[in-house]
Amino acid sequence: MTQLQLFFIAAFALAIAATLRRRRQGNISRKETIGWTALWMIAIVVVTRPEIASRAAAALGVGRGADAVVYVSVAALFYLVFRVFVRIDKLERDLTSVVRREALDHHRDGKRSS
Amino acid sequence: MRVAAVIPAYKEKGRIGDVVRAMLQRADRVFVVDDGSGDGTGAEARVAGAEVLTHALNRGQGAALRTGVDAALEDGADVIVHVDADGQHDPDAVPALLAPIRAGDADIVLGSRFMGVNAEGMPASRRALLWAARQFSSGVLGITRTLTDPTNGMRAMTAAAARDIDFRQDRMAHCTEILRLISHSRWLARTREVPVKVRYTADTLAKGQKAGDAFKVVWQMVIGSFND
Repeated sequence: MTQLQLFFIAAFALAIAATLRRRRQGNISRKETIGWTALWMIAIVVVTRPEIASRAAAALGVGRGADAVVYVSVAALFYLVFRVFVRIDKLERDLTSVVRREALDHHRDGKRSS
Repeated sequence: MRVAAVIPAYKEKGRIGDVVRAMLQRADRVFVVDDGSGDGTGAEARVAGAEVLTHALNRGQGAALRTGVDAALEDGADVIVHVDADGQHDPDAVPALLAPIRAGDADIVLGSRFMGVNAEGMPASRRALLWAARQFSSGVLGITRTLTDPTNGMRAMTAAAARDIDFRQDRMAHCTEILRLISHSRWLARTREVPVKVRYTADTLAKGQKAGDAFKVVWQMVIGSFND
């Protein structure tokens, strides 16, 4: 096993530990914990046995295993960025609700006192 | 019939007063939502005679409109008229908007710039943009083609319709969203369009929508659909 492989395995193991810690702290749901842990474990398997990526690449019609990893990573990143946008939109709506409630409350208070 | 005008306003000092005074001649109450302007827009509207609600932060035209609609409904309005704050909308169009509702023929009346009344000062680029918006609205969003002006903010609704048309887009996509909600609801059969005149000036064109905003509207609709 090369030093680079060891480095990636350690990094992914730390990512799993961080995922489990965030779950214990109640910051992520059970579904998210399973998803992220599975992702990091697949990454460890691919780093440990690169021929798996090559077989997957061949099945997908992509030349090399490394290329397949890059393609899948780019697709995953697109998905994650999209999820972040959706989450921001939700936060924006929540913020609007708070601002609206405050505006309406203030208006009611003003009418009562006048 | 108690008519309330709702005017979302952002940095409209110098213009909002005239709009409020004009609307007070045609509505029983005028609600201005100062959308975090911080330039005295709210104060000018209050002096002109409007009920003013203030957003502590700028949340967008759709958000401000929704706040004003909530306030008007709480106040007991029977009909709510939506009007822009920049003076583009002709106040004289309000009676025409209200006529089908008063006659019992409609619950929603939409103003249209494409029913024979020429807009003053509308550049060709704006006309092309509105045409493209209409194609997208009907082709992709399923907004009925019978509605001729998907981005016109001048409209009137009965209280029942206003309660039911639950638009949530905070920014400029709210116009398109309102039409989409109407198109997919029982209110479509109770919706009419009337011609309205819109005045474009250098000021309002500078502040108004740009061609690139069409893409923002599409993006807001796509992302927003995951939170509806």
